[in-house]
Amino acid sequence: MVTITINGKVVQAREGEMLLAVCKREGIDIPALCHHDAVEPFGACRLCMVEITKDEWNGWRNYVTSCLYPVEEGLIVQTHSPKVIELRRTVLDLQLARCPNSPELQKLAAEHGVNSTQYEIVPDGDNCILCGLCTRVCARLGFHAIATVGRGHHKEVAPPLKEAPPDCVGCLSCVQVCPTNNITYEDKGNVRTIWGKKFELLRCSKTGKATITKAFAEALSTRCDIPIDYFDVSDDEHRRQLALKMGSLADWAPKEQS
Amino acid sequence: MKARLVVTPNLCTGCRTCELACAFAHSINRKPGRSRIYPLPGGSHEMWTPVVCLQCEDPACMKSCLVDALSRNEETGAIVLDQDKCVKCMACVAACPFGCSLYDAQHDLVVKCDLCDGDPVCAHFCPTRALEFKPIAPIRRKATG
Repeated sequence: MVTITINGKVVQAREGEMLLAVCKREGIDIPALCHHDAVEPFGACRLCMVEITKDEWNGWRNYVTSCLYPVEEGLIVQTHSPKVIELRRTVLDLQLARCPNSPELQKLAAEHGVNSTQYEIVPDGDNCILCGLCTRVCARLGFHAIATVGRGHHKEVAPPLKEAPPDCVGCLSCVQVCPTNNITYEDKGNVRTIWGKKFELLRCSKTGKATITKAFAEALSTRCDIPIDYFDVSDDEHRRQLALKMGSLADWAPKEQS
Repeated sequence: MKARLVVTPNLCTGCRTCELACAFAHSINRKPGRSRIYPLPGGSHEMWTPVVCLQCEDPACMKSCLVDALSRNEETGAIVLDQDKCVKCMACVAACPFGCSLYDAQHDLVVKCDLCDGDPVCAHFCPTRALEFKPIAPIRRKATG
């Protein structure tokens, strides 16, 4: 265990734990767009910057991304000092210049007092802040279907060669984790379209409800050792079957008086 | 495992108090969540049976989770979903053979019974004791092979 000071409060933390996780546990609200507990920290959005110093640093201060900074003994952290807030405002200002139409980003920026960007707006931009969370989650799930391609101004999230990705199974995890809701998909009839690839939805024969795609069910079945027939019916039908089974197993006969 | 949530279907009257208690116990920002327990008509007599996560020994939900968001709480025996780790891929919802991993559309979360950290609210509210949280002896198995 190490002892650190966050905003004047002495806090105990495990060795190797990241600053952001400790702050979150202490109930301190630090904005972060690219952070997700399922994947390793990446430090892309730069919003979780905090000010750190130590007694022996003779007044020297450093500004670090808290999601990537492991705690050290005697660390003194300021999460909302004027300099840190100014840094966050600048980052939000720059992100707003890239994605001026993102409602999520507009809301977060407005909370920090940034109502419009003072930089030149990127022409023909989308709502992607290039945090790479979708690509990291995709890799964490083991599919590696999308990645960031190109460099500098041409960098974007795309499948390999910008063609329909062969490894994608249409699980929609990238859609779910995207902080700015930039990834789009379409469920039409029995077909799901995402990243330019079409998937067949696995529809329950009894209730007609579709939860996942056929490709995802097959991938789960082979990788996680789950019988493929578990996916045949929806959760509603599974519950109904369990109720029937439990009802028939119950002891309905009246107890004999002894 | 100290105790288990024991369901006695022939005591259930289908009053759905457990469902209400569960939904309110899992409220977020004063909005009730989706109930993790489902009283459904079942059995030969079409009587009601509360359907709730069985906390399987070899759980399909845990096996299907590709980001290890599901883990077993050794203290209560419940399989608990870490909401911060969940990427909402719906693998567990589709994989559970009992349909007890659920998608809560109101809060946009995947939810499942967590035995309320070892004190299930549904068992407290069940008026007929069809739901009871009580210690049970471990099931003895025949030696295999």
